[in-house]
Amino acid sequence: QTRTITGTVTAKEDGLPIPGVNILVKGSSLGAQTDASGKYSIALPEGSKMLTFSFIGYYTKEVTVGSTSTVNISLEMNSKQLGEVVVVGYGIQKRQEFTGSAATVKGDLFKEMPVQSFGQGLTGKATGVSIVQPNGLLNNPPVIRIRGVNSISLSSFPLVVVDGIPISTSDLSVNSSTNNPLGDINPSDIETVDILKDAASTSIYGSRAAAGVLIITTKKGKQGSVKVNYDGWYGVNNAVRLPEVLNAQQYIDHKNAALARALVLNANAVPAAQRDANGKSFFPAFNADGSLIDTKWYDQIYRTAYSQNHNVNVSGGTDKTTYFLSAGFTDQDGFLKSNEFNRKTGRVTLSHKVTDWLKLSTGLSYANSYNASPNSGSSPGSSATSSSAFNSSGLGRIAVAMAPNVAPYNADGSYSVSNNTIGKGNNLVPITWSNPLVLIDKDKNSSESNRFIGNLAGEFNILKGLTFKTSYSLDRASIENIQFWNPLNGDGYAYSGRAYNNTANRNNWNWVNTLQYLFALDGKHNFNILVGSEAQKTRIENWGAAREGIADPFFDQFQGTYSSNVSAGNDINQRMLEGYFSSVSYNYAGKYFVSANLRRDGSSALASNNRWGNFGGASLGWTLSEEDFYKNSSLSKVMSSARLKASWGKVGNANISNDYGSYTTYAAGNYGGNYTWAFNQAGNNELKWETSNQTNIGFDLGFMNDRVTLEANYYYNNVSNLILGVPQSPSKGIPDNKILLNVGSMYNKGFEFGINAVPVRTAKFSWTANLNVTLNKNEVTALVDDNTPITQATGNLETSSITKVGYPVSSIYAVKTAGVNPENGRRIFINKAGEKVQYLHHGGANAWTYLDGTKANPVNSNDAQILGGTLPTWYGGFNNTFQYGNFDLGVNFTFSGGNYIYNGSRAGLLDQRQWNNSVDVLNAWSTPGQNAEIPLAIYGDNVSNGSSFPIDANVEKGDFLRLQNAVLGYRIPQNVFGKIGINSLRVYAQVSNAFILTKYSGADPEISTNGNDQLAAGVERNTIPQGRSFTFGLNLGF
Amino acid sequence: CKEDFLEAKPELNLPADQAFDTPARILLQVNGLYSSAKNGSLFGGRYMIYNDIRGEEFVNNRANGVTGYSVWQQTQTADDNYITNIWSQGYLTINRVNQFLEGLEANSSKIEATLATNYKGEAKFIRALTYFSLVQVFAKPYQLDQGASKGLPLRLKAETTTANNALKRSSVAEIYAQILKDLDEAETELPDNYGTDAERRTTRAHKNSARALKTRVYLAKGDYAKVITEANKIVPATAPFVSPIGVSNALNPSVTTTYTSYTTLESIFSFPMAVTNVPGTQNQLGYYFNTGGGANLEYFLNKSSNGIWGNAQFRASDDRRTKLIGGTAASPCLIKYSNVSPFLDYTPMIRYAEVLLNLAEAEAEVGDQVRARALLDAVHKRSDPTYDFGTLDKDALIISILTERRIELLGEGFRANDAVRRLQPIKSLGAGADIPPSDARYNFAIPALEVRTNSAIND
Repeated sequence: QTRTITGTVTAKEDGLPIPGVNILVKGSSLGAQTDASGKYSIALPEGSKMLTFSFIGYYTKEVTVGSTSTVNISLEMNSKQLGEVVVVGYGIQKRQEFTGSAATVKGDLFKEMPVQSFGQGLTGKATGVSIVQPNGLLNNPPVIRIRGVNSISLSSFPLVVVDGIPISTSDLSVNSSTNNPLGDINPSDIETVDILKDAASTSIYGSRAAAGVLIITTKKGKQGSVKVNYDGWYGVNNAVRLPEVLNAQQYIDHKNAALARALVLNANAVPAAQRDANGKSFFPAFNADGSLIDTKWYDQIYRTAYSQNHNVNVSGGTDKTTYFLSAGFTDQDGFLKSNEFNRKTGRVTLSHKVTDWLKLSTGLSYANSYNASPNSGSSPGSSATSSSAFNSSGLGRIAVAMAPNVAPYNADGSYSVSNNTIGKGNNLVPITWSNPLVLIDKDKNSSESNRFIGNLAGEFNILKGLTFKTSYSLDRASIENIQFWNPLNGDGYAYSGRAYNNTANRNNWNWVNTLQYLFALDGKHNFNILVGSEAQKTRIENWGAAREGIADPFFDQFQGTYSSNVSAGNDINQRMLEGYFSSVSYNYAGKYFVSANLRRDGSSALASNNRWGNFGGASLGWTLSEEDFYKNSSLSKVMSSARLKASWGKVGNANISNDYGSYTTYAAGNYGGNYTWAFNQAGNNELKWETSNQTNIGFDLGFMNDRVTLEANYYYNNVSNLILGVPQSPSKGIPDNKILLNVGSMYNKGFEFGINAVPVRTAKFSWTANLNVTLNKNEVTALVDDNTPITQATGNLETSSITKVGYPVSSIYAVKTAGVNPENGRRIFINKAGEKVQYLHHGGANAWTYLDGTKANPVNSNDAQILGGTLPTWYGGFNNTFQYGNFDLGVNFTFSGGNYIYNGSRAGLLDQRQWNNSVDVLNAWSTPGQNAEIPLAIYGDNVSNGSSFPIDANVEKGDFLRLQNAVLGYRIPQNVFGKIGINSLRVYAQVSNAFILTKYSGADPEISTNGNDQLAAGVERNTIPQGRSFTFGLNLGF
Repeated sequence: CKEDFLEAKPELNLPADQAFDTPARILLQVNGLYSSAKNGSLFGGRYMIYNDIRGEEFVNNRANGVTGYSVWQQTQTADDNYITNIWSQGYLTINRVNQFLEGLEANSSKIEATLATNYKGEAKFIRALTYFSLVQVFAKPYQLDQGASKGLPLRLKAETTTANNALKRSSVAEIYAQILKDLDEAETELPDNYGTDAERRTTRAHKNSARALKTRVYLAKGDYAKVITEANKIVPATAPFVSPIGVSNALNPSVTTTYTSYTTLESIFSFPMAVTNVPGTQNQLGYYFNTGGGANLEYFLNKSSNGIWGNAQFRASDDRRTKLIGGTAASPCLIKYSNVSPFLDYTPMIRYAEVLLNLAEAEAEVGDQVRARALLDAVHKRSDPTYDFGTLDKDALIISILTERRIELLGEGFRANDAVRRLQPIKSLGAGADIPPSDARYNFAIPALEVRTNSAIND
């Protein structure tokens, strides 16, 4: 006789009901699941007595049913297994059924970090994921690379999906402040970040997923009483690792000595008008009180910055309705003066079960993000290939290069200026740089985003296991970019003042429909079948104007009075995507897993004939430890779980920055007062998908009852039909000297290891540790035609990067040198023929000579060689959490290496024009026979130290170990609060970027002057450094 | 699948297949060719500025690599970005011309035959001007070996695909031949004038523009007889010197208004500027040479004896000194380009004064010394009426004419090219030395970017 057993399953830890628990009648195929309120009902056949309750993340429990018809069960959390559920494309999968490769990072850590976007908090947390913060400018978009760089010309930034919505990630700032769209997401609202790495996981996203997918799941309400949480922190931040530069007296002495040497060679090395009778041009200047002017420009440009962050959320729910509301406010100041970020966010998610066949859910979020920054020379720039590194108003460079013997103010308190530069003080040569205080005080650059992300989804349970889901989402951002350049000094000088306002409206909508059928046959054959469609459209309309020639310096805004108005920043771009997909997953008794998916995608950015592409993947898994023979083996005593998995997939990539790359076009303009059309783009009407074939083989092992788990993967990602802006010889006159073509191929291959362990677990003390290591090798295997290499310049000026067959993408390309000639102090260069050629600035026709003094051909970048890859070949994190009583301590290290960095900033620090120098020049060659690293200083020399073209002396290894952050927390015992309503209170102190061990001499080995540009990675050029911050915070729960 | 949902056409750029749809659009393309040539990295500024600062007339004031410091010092390398831009923008202009000529041929039915002919002439004029300007700075001078040296890749076909990256350099003589072929054809194809439209007469080529440019090209070749032939078309045998044909080009009575009115009959061809169409940051002639009000005095005049500022022929009473030079006593500066911020001064590309001096030089070399002297006087005495050159023998006459060019054409992009065409050393102030023709620095190296992408460039 069959009887019905009912009951509720709750979690032992908090007593809350657990929905979705699998209940099986032991020895049969009969099963059931708990509903949203943890309730279940199951028919128990006669003769059966045992029920099995299992749920991901909890210990499975077997219960013998007595005569009662109500069985309430509490399950104990299995805490050693983190991330039991993987959020995959268009759904959720249990970790144990998932056969692809993914990493899950809990969102809790983001809310405590002094970051602007969650991306910065991911560093070192996820196996296979490399995150680099390009510099210390607030809200600079991080460079995220999943398993290496997965394209050459197209974006290698992963697809970011928030609660199922693929969101826009392009920076739409048009001035020197950044606008990182990831910063519009309040890090405190994030529950988890799942990072999909292999094609079997990502190919369901088809064409947008070649660089991996970041799936963000925001916090949702849970059934139960209302919970209120407050999280807040206060932080202080300072610049670190600033290079030591000459003080005023050292500067004067060094420059005059260099000048004396120059004048011997060239009587006009400095024009007669700019030196005294003794051939000196640099002189001390004095303050009104008679003290020497010795300006510490770092103190003028950088500061100790303070930041604060507050979040409140309220959540709860009934068996039908759950909700989560949050409000966040952050106000952060950067260590670069005038650099600010603040954000106000509000978020509501609501889920309601209307009937037993219809569930509606909605999420609405609004963010107001305000970014402001002076020209730091460190923002990624408006196009991928043009960083602002060489902007003459870039404060990162002015901070080191400005002469220390001039002052920012005149004696009367006014700014010291002379035309477009700072006043030269008592020097006779003019100083090239603008007065940085004028730039900080009077220029304005801001990018303010008002962003609304909303979605509405309906879920229809048509039959048992058959669900139709439709979801429409809108990601709409309105971004106001404001730039004011003062007429006194800096970028606005030549315009007599300029105001440039631009508004960008980005409207991105997405509509997804899926039909999913979950069913089991005989209790052992489990199927999950999904079909779906997706359509997406993103349209960006920019409009703006510049006003030039200010009526009076009284004005500092666009609305003032100006002499001329010109069009600026007007653009319209749009892109559409349409896709159809299906996936099938099957497993047999939780032992054998097979899944496959297919997707057909069309993109408007490709040529009309080649617009559609087919993508897909398949994976296999075998949970060895579920086999009886394994369970009976002695191995199972040591290795408690074992699983093998393999996947293969093909994904596409059409993330071309140009929406209209297939068109040959003419651009409109002006010729005097007349209009023009002129050929501006050579299109390619054959443009098609980039495709990557990805293979992943791995295993997951658990030891000592899963107290130690090891995940290891081998991956091989072969990218072909690479879309490249193929370099055209400039004499052909192709606009930008580039045409987009599908040529070339490359691969990334490597190993990933992740170890999670609980080395110590006692009642009072525990230590959990995670070590993740990724080894990656990247190589370009084919390029266009005769394999013409692709070179890329930093800031359109300095070509130090090359992409060539047989080498990793974006290798360093510089001229080899052979040190300094001990005889005469000249830099010895090695030309293409391998000959040693020495250089003497102001040497005229004999500037370039062989070591025997005979004339040689000038060395230039055509003599450059490939000197190393810029992509780390190993990287990872070592994360530790210690708990002792109410104390918790997190210590998180990151490490990376095997790469080289082109330290262009050092070329500037040793440049022998009137720029200030590193104190290292005090050790420059001075006497015959001396072995020196730095050549004899000759005034005006911009060749010997690498300013004119890159040299190997400024190429350095990038290996490092960093204490990324350390946090110490204390949970105040609950009994302290009595009945005042406080449930929990934790206070903590945190240090970020605590220290770094590296031989790299520049600002930071994790630097990317060219931002996300994968063709010119690993370059440091005039970029502001990283900061170190201390944060104090609290988490309060009611 | 709905194809229309995935159709995203550029909304602000014109697909190439519609570029020749209407006569109005074709005219806008003609304007586009001029506009391409007047880009700030070419004739909008840099090309002219670099020619002036390579010589002895200017002192660098800012030591800024972005504003020509290394060019002034003659330490530029093949990597110099701005020199590369001169090359790239020049060839972009040439390709636009090539494409336009091919498109016009294919769409000849769309416009009137006369207009089509005129437009062809304009395109060829621009191509000739560009090739001539490039060959002067990126190759050895014609007169060194009668053009036998390697010149430039000669590109005459429209390039829109990835084919043809490799192309070796044609000889200097071959480049000159093409320039003169274009100019001869342009002379027949261009309109005589543009009626009373002074703006178009100045900023669009007409027959006299081609003739005037030919005098410059032949002068560079050292073909003085041809200079005289071409110049005679637009310069009468004796004063008053007013072109008898086409536009009545003549010296403007006042030298200064040439630089303020922009469209006087003296300006045979200039590139216009407008608020919507300025040369761009750090490219403007005025920004380099003028001071204050947005100009930055990047270069002031060299007061030492070898500079033209100190030359006896350039007297204190000369209008060109009193009205076109300002600044301070310590650092006098050229204020020819006075419309600063916004920088609206036209680039004076070809002035009648230059034609007179071209002709004077040719006459002095191989022809009528009296006429040469009359032409020299016409130019000099406009600005300094009481000046007397005295008696000049042939050599002294030639020297005076060359000196006059330095005074009259100061800051207009002639100095280095004038030295080079006559195989004189470039008297580089920044290098503190004379740069002889045998020196690698005598001309700019082929940009490294071209060397990397054009495998035949050194064949």
